[in-house]
Amino acid sequence: MIRKEAIRLISKEIVDDVIVSANGYISRDLFEVGDKPTNFYMIGSMGLASSIGLGLALQNPKKTIYVFDGDGNILMNLGSLTTISKLKPKNFIHIIFDNSSHESTGGQPTSTNKISIDAIAKAVNFKVFRCNSKKNLDETFKKIKKMSGPIVILVKISKSEKISKRVSLPPKKIKSRFMKSLQS
Amino acid sequence: MKELTQKQIFDFLSNNGIENFIGVPDSTMKYFIDQGFKRKKVLITTREEEAIGISSGFALSKSNSLVFMQNAGFANSISTITSLVQLYEIPLIFLIGWRGYLKNDAPEHTKIGKIQPNLLKILDLQGKIITDKNWKASCNWALKKLANHESCALIIRRVFL
Repeated sequence: MIRKEAIRLISKEIVDDVIVSANGYISRDLFEVGDKPTNFYMIGSMGLASSIGLGLALQNPKKTIYVFDGDGNILMNLGSLTTISKLKPKNFIHIIFDNSSHESTGGQPTSTNKISIDAIAKAVNFKVFRCNSKKNLDETFKKIKKMSGPIVILVKISKSEKISKRVSLPPKKIKSRFMKSLQS
Repeated sequence: MKELTQKQIFDFLSNNGIENFIGVPDSTMKYFIDQGFKRKKVLITTREEEAIGISSGFALSKSNSLVFMQNAGFANSISTITSLVQLYEIPLIFLIGWRGYLKNDAPEHTKIGKIQPNLLKILDLQGKIITDKNWKASCNWALKKLANHESCALIIRRVFL
C-alpha cells in the first residue's frame, strides 16, 4: 500500500471532523485526494502536526481530531507523545504513515526499520494499532471510530512512484477556511 | 522581577482573555509560572516548538494563548515562528526570559543574550521589555496586539545571578 492509497481510504471516512496533516508529501497527497476546509495543511513547522492537533483536540471536545503524521515527522517531536498522553484527549487519533524514510527530501532512511514507533506510543499509554494492508486499515479504522482516544494507528506504507502536486492554497486561506469550518 | 509583580502579570493576563499558558519553564519567571499552576492554567511541554504548536491549535479555535520560554528556547523556536506563526499569521503572546542580559551571567547564556534584541528585530517580532514599573501597560500593549491578530513578545530581563 502506498501512502496516497492509505490517505484516500481513511480521508473518505472522515466527513465533518478535522484532519491536521504533516508537511511534505502527506499534505500533498491529502490535498490531491480529498481537499476540504476541515483539513489543516501544515506546510512548514516540521514535526508539529501532533502538537497543533493536541491544541485543537483540547479546545474542540465535540469534534474528533485526526493527525496525519509521518515517521520522520513524529521522530522530530517524540516528546509530543508524552504530552498528549499526559492530557489523554479522548478525541485525538494519531495516524502515522511509516515508510521508514524521509521521502520528500529524497528517501533518506529513518530509524523505523530498526525501532517501532507503535511500541514507543504503547509505552506512553496510547491505544495502538498497526496496519500493513488496505483491508487491515479499513477494518481497523472502522473499529477505532467507536473507541475513545488517544489512539495511534501506525500504517506501514511503501514508497510512492508518483509525487502529488503541492498544496496550492495560500497559507492564510488554509487558515481562514479552516477556522470557519470549526465554527460550524 | 519581583514575585508580586510576576503573580500580578499572570492574574492580569488570565483575567483579560488569555486562556492558555503553555511553555518550558524558566527560573527568571518562576513566580509567574507558579501562579499559573495555582490557577491550574499552565501546561508544561517538552520543547518550546511543541508549546507553539499546541498554542496554535488553540488559536485556530479562537482561544488565546501565551507561550513562555527562556531565550535559549526562543532560539530553538525560530523556524516554528517563521514557518507556522508568521506564515499563517497566528496570534500569540511570547513571554521570554532574557538570560545573558547581565554581562556576568553564566557562560552558556552570553551569546544568545547578546543577539536576542537583534533576533527579535530581524524576525519582525515586536517586543517590549516588561518591568515592575511598566507591567500593566506592557500587558495591555500585548493584549491589544493579540486583539489585532498580531503576535508579539514580552521580555523579562534576568537581573540577578
